[in-house]
Amino acid sequence: MARDAKPPDTKLSHTTAMILQALDGGFVYGFSIMEMTGLPSGTVYPAMRRLERDELIRSQWEKRSIADAEQRPPRKYYRLTAAGKVTLEASRRRYPLLERLIPTEEAKSV
Amino acid sequence: MKPSLVRGSAFARRLLHAGMLRSASLLVPAEQRAEWFREWRGELWHVRHACTTAGKDSWRGEREVTAFCLGAFQDALCLRRAGRQPWAPFAAMDGTPRQCMLILSCALAASYAIALLLPGVRAERSLWPRKVNPNLVLIQQEGSSDNSRPTIAPGVFRSWEGRRQKYFDGFAFYRLDREAVSAETIAGRTAAKFEWGVARASSNLFTLLGLPVEFADPSAAPGGMTAVILSEKVWKRDFAADEHIAGVELRLGQRMVRIAGVAPDGSLSLPGRVDIWELVPDADAGSGAAGYLVAHLTAAGKAEMWTQCVHITANGPNDSEEDFLGVSLEEWKPPTMTVYLFSLMLALLALPAITSVSMGEYSVNPRRTTWPGRLYRWSFLSAKIALLLPVIYFISMDLAYGCTTFGRERAVYIQLVSTFGMCLFGLRWVLKDQRQRCPVCVCRVAHPAQVGQASRTFLDWNGTEMMCMGGHTLLHVPSLPTSWFGAQRWLYLDTSWSFLFAGSTRPIP
Repeated sequence: MARDAKPPDTKLSHTTAMILQALDGGFVYGFSIMEMTGLPSGTVYPAMRRLERDELIRSQWEKRSIADAEQRPPRKYYRLTAAGKVTLEASRRRYPLLERLIPTEEAKSV
Repeated sequence: MKPSLVRGSAFARRLLHAGMLRSASLLVPAEQRAEWFREWRGELWHVRHACTTAGKDSWRGEREVTAFCLGAFQDALCLRRAGRQPWAPFAAMDGTPRQCMLILSCALAASYAIALLLPGVRAERSLWPRKVNPNLVLIQQEGSSDNSRPTIAPGVFRSWEGRRQKYFDGFAFYRLDREAVSAETIAGRTAAKFEWGVARASSNLFTLLGLPVEFADPSAAPGGMTAVILSEKVWKRDFAADEHIAGVELRLGQRMVRIAGVAPDGSLSLPGRVDIWELVPDADAGSGAAGYLVAHLTAAGKAEMWTQCVHITANGPNDSEEDFLGVSLEEWKPPTMTVYLFSLMLALLALPAITSVSMGEYSVNPRRTTWPGRLYRWSFLSAKIALLLPVIYFISMDLAYGCTTFGRERAVYIQLVSTFGMCLFGLRWVLKDQRQRCPVCVCRVAHPAQVGQASRTFLDWNGTEMMCMGGHTLLHVPSLPTSWFGAQRWLYLDTSWSFLFAGSTRPIP
């Protein structure tokens, strides 16, 4: 198993699990997660900082050229790491309604 | 509305939102600030674009954008806290009962130390054991509104002292003079001259006041010098609180006198600005200018004192009837402990008005936790209160008596108000803190997350979720109590949750 696939030392509340599920469902930036989960910005962004610190998610800036082409500022995208996926899988067992609340990208595409 | 006004209003709102983000960015550690601001500014553009598009209610959209910007402060604070590296021993104690006890103990030590250092508080505490004799009255001429002005002629003292009295069984008299005094034999000091208020009192004054002051026979002292007592103020101001002041000789007018001791400020409760007390034979005291007359009441006299004042009609030195006013020397001033306890009682009565006094599931869910665990929780709550109350007492003393210019009457009110406020909000904090401590490990729950929106309360749950860092519990606190979710609830996590808290479990007390 890869080093980052090991379940990390993290504290995952229901709210945080929702954010992980939203990221897995293709909502990859802060505002879209807010819209999907109904959580306010003061909860979503700090939770994402903690998830990033615990290496469950990783952030990456969008290419400047793409943003310029669409005449908007670039945004920061987040995605799950391998460890994040393991943790999310464990969270789904704990919170069975999570997947029904926010379907994953694979489920949506079926 | 004119287009120019609309444009101006939109510009002002954009400026406000940008200002909010810029202000929040100041809380972020410098090395992360630029990137943090860039991300929030980019997101703000998208939020504004989504919330204020044509067809949407403009006011509601702006409110959503503002709410989004307010969240930036929480995010900035989160980054600031994460960036701060606490000292390792304290980091391990974060949120634990030990940390709380340590902070309260330090506050207690600090407030007590300040109380010891402040002269006003020290003086107040030194007066605790002493009470003014309730049978003493200061006699003044009727019609004198100012009791600091001497009004009694020495002849009245001599006349009354020589007669058998029904209401009084002792009189003392003193008068005040301004005199030049020179200290000539103070070790390490050159000769110094002072202008002091000298009180010449009949020899029984201190005995009448009930002060245990005894003078050696003046004739037995070297050179037959009279013994005098300095006021504490003069001792500190002119003699730098010299501990070896007793025995120092002073030239008082044409005579030499010897310092016998120092009278603590406020201990005599007598009017007049006295710097030095000189006890002289009654014949000498009862001559010269007008002065102050202190009388001791008999049982019959005390029975006539219905209030602080009593009107007296008596014969003067010329056997003519004169009117006098007797004012009790016992100052009405409740003891500091009484003021404190009264304020505490008021605060306890007012407490339910500002917070719930319920402990949530602490008392109604005994099956979830063990007996020792419950005992530990309640012991911790008792210890918090036991430490907080003396802290409040000493702080209120520091505030009330720290500044000696307030006056003692005003100090009572300052102590009353400050004790009430601190007890009220201190006890509120104790209860709130206790409600946010995990019932299993008694550590504070952390990572508050707001869930839901107020407008959706009737459809879904709206409140704050917090978690125990040890992985024992989740706490759900409703923002708006409803019939189905009125009070906070604990969700006890069994061992199947441990995978979410790998390596972070805290021991159960």
